[in-house]
Amino acid sequence: MYFALLKEFLRNRAAAAGLVILVLVLAVAALGHFRFPGDPWEMAAAPMLWPGEDWANPLGTDLMGRDIATGLVSGARVSLLIGLVSALISAIIGIAAGALGGFYRGWIDAFLMRVTELFQTVPQFVLAVVLVAIFKPSVATATFAIGIVSWPPTARLVRSEFLLLREREFVQAARSLGMGDVRLIVTQILPNALPPVIVVGALNIAHAIQTEAALSFLGLGDPNVMSWGTIIGNGREQVVDAWYICGLPGIAIVLVVLAFNLLGEGLNDALNPRLAEK
Amino acid sequence: MTKLLSIRGLRTWFHTRAGVARAVDGVDLEIAPGETLALVGESGSGKSVTALSILRLIQEPGRIVAGEIRFDGMNLLTLDDRRLRAIRGNRIAMIFQEPLSAFNPVQSIGAQIVEAIRLHRRTSRRAAYARAVELLEQVGISSPDIRVHEFPHRLSGGMRQRAMIALALACKPDILIADEPTTALDVTTQAQILDLLKSLQTENGMGLLLITHDLSVVAETADRATIMYAGRVVEEGPVATLFTRPSHPYTAGLLASVAIDDLPPGERLPEIPGTVPSLLAMPQGCAFADRCPKASGAAGCFTKAPEFSAVSPRGEHRVACFLSAMSPAWRFPVPAERKTLPREMEEDEKIKAKEAA
Repeated sequence: MYFALLKEFLRNRAAAAGLVILVLVLAVAALGHFRFPGDPWEMAAAPMLWPGEDWANPLGTDLMGRDIATGLVSGARVSLLIGLVSALISAIIGIAAGALGGFYRGWIDAFLMRVTELFQTVPQFVLAVVLVAIFKPSVATATFAIGIVSWPPTARLVRSEFLLLREREFVQAARSLGMGDVRLIVTQILPNALPPVIVVGALNIAHAIQTEAALSFLGLGDPNVMSWGTIIGNGREQVVDAWYICGLPGIAIVLVVLAFNLLGEGLNDALNPRLAEK
Repeated sequence: MTKLLSIRGLRTWFHTRAGVARAVDGVDLEIAPGETLALVGESGSGKSVTALSILRLIQEPGRIVAGEIRFDGMNLLTLDDRRLRAIRGNRIAMIFQEPLSAFNPVQSIGAQIVEAIRLHRRTSRRAAYARAVELLEQVGISSPDIRVHEFPHRLSGGMRQRAMIALALACKPDILIADEPTTALDVTTQAQILDLLKSLQTENGMGLLLITHDLSVVAETADRATIMYAGRVVEEGPVATLFTRPSHPYTAGLLASVAIDDLPPGERLPEIPGTVPSLLAMPQGCAFADRCPKASGAAGCFTKAPEFSAVSPRGEHRVACFLSAMSPAWRFPVPAERKTLPREMEEDEKIKAKEAA
C-alpha cells in the first residue's frame, strides 16, 4: 500500500521535483560544513567579495567579510530545524485540540473552538513577534512561538474530520468490540483523519520557514545562529551595491518553501481518494 | 431453560427537536444459550435500536430511559463503563449489516482481529495473530495466512462478512448480535453466511440474536422470533407456531405478503394497507389499529394499548392484541378493490374473449 502511494506520488512531476530540491537542501544542511567549515560569524576574507571573485569564498562575503556560503549552510540547518520542529509542535497541539473537540463535542468542543478562534483573530506574525520579544530570542523560542501561532488551521481541519469520522459505522463497530475512548481516537479515527493533516503539515513547514526568516530579518532571530533571515537582514543596507547578499539566501528560502509546497500538493493528490480516482 | 440474556421493559427514546421519538417502547425479550432468536420488523420498527441498546451503543439524542437488561447476573444498563467495555466484544459481540463500513478502512483485517483479541486477552501479538489466521480459516476464508494481511476493501462482500464474523468471534462471545448480516449480500452468499452462523453457533453454543426483515431468513435460521412493530413487540413465539398460526394481524399480514405460492398468476400480492405511524405521534391505542382489518372500537383497539399475553397453554407464544382469539388459519384478507388484474393482463383477457367469440 505504501509502495503504491509512493508510486502515485512520484508520478506527479512537480511533487518529484519538490522532493529532489528537498533532498538537495537536506544534503547541504547535513554535509555542507565539510566543504565550508568554520564559524559563519568569523571574518573569512575581504568584505563585499562578489560570488566567483575568489574561489576560496565561492559565494562571496558580506559587509563584515563573513563567508556567505558558510552562512547559507548554517541557515539551511536552522531553517529546516525550526520548520520541522515548529510544524510538529503545531501539528501536535492542533491534532490534540481538534481530536478532543471533534470526538467529544459539547462543552469541550465549544471551549477548544473559542480558544482556536482567539488565536485566529490575532495576526499570526504579530503574535509570533510578541512571543519572541517577551522571551529571549533564540532558536528554541522562535520554534516555540511559530508552533504556538500556527496550530489553529490544523485544529479546525482535524475537528471537521473527527466530526465526520465519529459517525462512521466502523467507529461504532470498534466500540462494540470494547474499545475505550482513547483507543478509539488514536487507533481508529486518527489514522483515517491523517491524510489531509499531513498535507497541511507540509505547507506548515514552508510557512514556518518563512516566518523564521522574517523574525531573523527583524533582528528577532537567535543572535548566536546565522540563519537565512539574518543574512538578508544584515545585507539590506547594501541591497543596491551588493544584491547577492540578500539575493542568495532569498533564493534559498524560495527554493525550500517551493519544495515543501510542491511536496504538500503532491501528497494531497496522492492521499486524496477523490482526486486519485480520476 | 435458563436465560442468558433477558430484556425487560426496555425504552429507548430519541429526544429530537420535533419531539420525543419512542423508537423502542417497552420491549421484552430473552435468549437462551445456543438459541437463535430472530428480531423481525420493518425499517424503523426499533429492532436495530434494541440491539444497540443491549451494548449501550445508543448515541445522543437517543437515551435508554427505562428497562433492565440482565446478562449473567448483571444489569448492563447500570454497569460502569469499564465493566461494560469488558463485556463488549468479549462476551457479547456484534456484526453489522454492511461489513465494508464496519471495518476500519486503513487497517488490515488481521490487524483488526489481533486488536480485538488483545483488548480482552493477555496474549502476545504473535499468538493473537496466529489466532486471527485460525479464525479466518474457521469462517471459511481460503488461504487465511495471505488474507489476513488484506485491507477490507480488497475483499469481496461475502468474504468481508466472513471476516466480520471472525472479528466478532475473536473472543468466543456468549451472545452474538447480528444486525441484518445478510441484507447487503446476494442470495447465494446469504445462504452461505447463514449456514456459517448456524454451524459456528452449534460449535460455540452461543446465543444468536438475529435481526432481520427477511422472513425467509427467519424460517431458515431461527428457533424463536419476536415481531416488532413501531417500537413495540407485537408477537413472540416459536418460529413454527408463528408461521403456521400467527395470532397478531400484523404477523399474519407479513406472512401473507410473502406467501405467493398459492396465489394465482396475475393476482396482486396482498399487502398491509397504510403506513407505520410516526414515532413522534403514536396513536393512543394499539399502534397497528389504523392498518388492522380486524380492529374495532368495541374491543378497545383505538383507545388503549393491548397487553402482552400468552395465547398458548405453556405461554411460549405471546401476543399483544385484543383480538388474539383468532381462528388458527387466519388469513390476511386482500382488500376487494385490489382484486383487479394489472392492465396488460386485462387486455390479454379481452383479446382471449374476442378470439373465443
